[in-house]
Amino acid sequence: MTSRDGGPRPTKRRARAGRVFVAPNLIAIAVFMLFPLGFSLYMSFQTWDLFTPARFVGLANFGHLFTADPLFVTALRNTVVYTVGTLVPTVLISLVVAALLNRKLKGISVFRAVVFVPLAVSSVVTAVMWQFAFNTDDGLLNTMLGWIRLGPVPWLLEPGWAMVSLCMVSVWKSVPFATVVVLAAMQGVPHTLYEAARIDGASELRQFVSITVPLIRGALSFVVVISIINAFQAFDQVYVLTGGHGGPETGTYVLGIMLFQNAFAFLDFGYASALAWVMFAILLGLTLLQLRLTRRSSMRL
Amino acid sequence: VLDQPFGRRTLLRGAGVLGAVSVGLGSAGCGDDDADALTFFFQANPEEADARLTIVQAFQRANPGIRVRTVLSGPDPMQQMSTFCAGGKCPDVLMAWELTYAGLAERGVLADLNTMLAQDHGFAAQLKADSVRDLYDAFAFDGGQYALPEQWSGNFLFYNKRLFAEAGVPAPPDRWDQPWSFTEFLTAATALTKRDRSGKTTQWGFVDTWVPYYSAGLFGMNNGTPWCHPRTNPTHLNFDDEAFIEGVQFYADLAVTHRVAPKAADVQSISTMDLFSSGRAAMALGGHWRYQTFSRADGLDFDVTVLPGGPKGNGGKSNIGTTGLAIAASSPRKQQAWEFLKFAAGPIGQALIGESGLFVPVLTSATRSTGFALAHNRIGNLAVLTDGPSHSGYLPVTPAWPKIDALMDRYIGPVLRGSRPATSLKTGLSRTVEQVLRSP
Repeated sequence: MTSRDGGPRPTKRRARAGRVFVAPNLIAIAVFMLFPLGFSLYMSFQTWDLFTPARFVGLANFGHLFTADPLFVTALRNTVVYTVGTLVPTVLISLVVAALLNRKLKGISVFRAVVFVPLAVSSVVTAVMWQFAFNTDDGLLNTMLGWIRLGPVPWLLEPGWAMVSLCMVSVWKSVPFATVVVLAAMQGVPHTLYEAARIDGASELRQFVSITVPLIRGALSFVVVISIINAFQAFDQVYVLTGGHGGPETGTYVLGIMLFQNAFAFLDFGYASALAWVMFAILLGLTLLQLRLTRRSSMRL
Repeated sequence: VLDQPFGRRTLLRGAGVLGAVSVGLGSAGCGDDDADALTFFFQANPEEADARLTIVQAFQRANPGIRVRTVLSGPDPMQQMSTFCAGGKCPDVLMAWELTYAGLAERGVLADLNTMLAQDHGFAAQLKADSVRDLYDAFAFDGGQYALPEQWSGNFLFYNKRLFAEAGVPAPPDRWDQPWSFTEFLTAATALTKRDRSGKTTQWGFVDTWVPYYSAGLFGMNNGTPWCHPRTNPTHLNFDDEAFIEGVQFYADLAVTHRVAPKAADVQSISTMDLFSSGRAAMALGGHWRYQTFSRADGLDFDVTVLPGGPKGNGGKSNIGTTGLAIAASSPRKQQAWEFLKFAAGPIGQALIGESGLFVPVLTSATRSTGFALAHNRIGNLAVLTDGPSHSGYLPVTPAWPKIDALMDRYIGPVLRGSRPATSLKTGLSRTVEQVLRSP
């Protein structure tokens, strides 16, 4: 770029203006993201209850978490169950829904809009709405089960069923986003491939398995990573559905609830920070593994 | 001017000026509001909030030089208080709960009121003479006095007089020194439970409007074993005691075995308060905080009675549920805050509380006053309220309470659902609580 008189000044001025425009965002990131991240890392090596001065304890918080807190194992196990229970149905349902929506039919835009509605509803509203549906005596689900003569299910009252309920809500909430991503990827698959497959006599199912799925692998990989991250960070839905103790018993005691409980109920912010960084490390490991696997399979393609 | 295009720079300048002006106005407004006012943090439902404001207004009339700014708590007052105080904005006067204040006291958030009491001999002597010792001591922790009690919020039973009469069940006891047994209570609750032809319950004998796992402990205590030993900083909680366990099991069996009380599934779509208010439950466990709700229910003719006692105890007792008023250790207005405490927890404020009908005051002079009796003229068995504070057993006072609370929910929950017997508390809950008490 050159100025009218050919000098460098306007470029410099523009660069300066650019920095000025970016500065507020950078400051916001530094204040609201980098500082809290750094502070929580610092706190994970301290014991701190908000009121008394923080005391350095080295790796004691991490040591206690891994060796002396049986609830960490429970929370980790529940989080893994919740993640798998959310991830697998989300991917399968979103594939089917996206395939159905990826057609040129009259009124398909209405169906697309309806499918995406849960995306616009807040997690807390979703959880409250589902609470009514899970009501044992006269909730929607048990009423419908009653029509086919199946007994009432104690959705939120028994530990096992409470986790199933939680996964159902999470799937309901996650499917629209996954569908948007998968549908966008499906629309990018060249039609010529399907035409060639049809000429070769491939069925619809065969086309879906052998053409669509391999070619949207990148999008699926993205959906998997995002779903795992969301599941590991689950808190608000659990808090509203089954309470701040992750009950009944420890049925829905996931890592998000454990973190909140240690920080805000027990005022043990050092321990909660250590847990947060352990969660971060697990997620980072899983994401890197997923990326490596995806890269390897794309190279094979 | 209107013909000229609205330039980008003009827009940015305008936005800057507007922003600066709004920030300036905002801070000026805040400063004006917050300058010297004494801040008072409390939790209340709308009816209680009105009574609180009555006390605050009366205080301001008596002390025109002290302005009070009230801060109404959200659903979790402990979390809110912690955040305020940790952020350097601790309210001057804080509402304190007997089960949770110890955590704040231990961390130095609350001022030791003994300093003020020592300088105010007259008031201290008057308070001592007029107080129920156990309530007052509920806020004594590690040698300090961290709050002055202002209301008794122990539990008792509300009962529907019409349903008792219709079922031919004799009226329950009218005072704490005329106890009734677990068996008599169960017989009454059974007679008061009605089912339709399909077996669906149309009227419950008993409902619980408190926290079920706390209530279970209350029945354990009423079978002759205190919750813990000692009361403050306990070294042992009696979840492994046979009598305590039997009491918990009796409470659980009311819903699980005898079906005279609703299970959790039965109260997912209707609250226990609504069941009692609408005449679909004959007895309701709760504290005075339910009085206004039940008083306003259409066609509900109710009275109050005492809790039943188990075979191994000496009659039923209530619990020392109490809230008090504390002063923040960091408050720059301690003297003003002390004047507020003296007013609200002293004879004048207590009399006003009694007359309002919204709380049970803690000073004997206020509970025995005509104003209190007039405010509760719908209650025949007034002695259940007035003698309640002196017939109450204590709950543990420990900074570890939030952890114990979480454990109780986790371990007593299955007992109340009927999936485990109460004897499971002996190995599960008891051992885990011991660990928490040893290293909180």
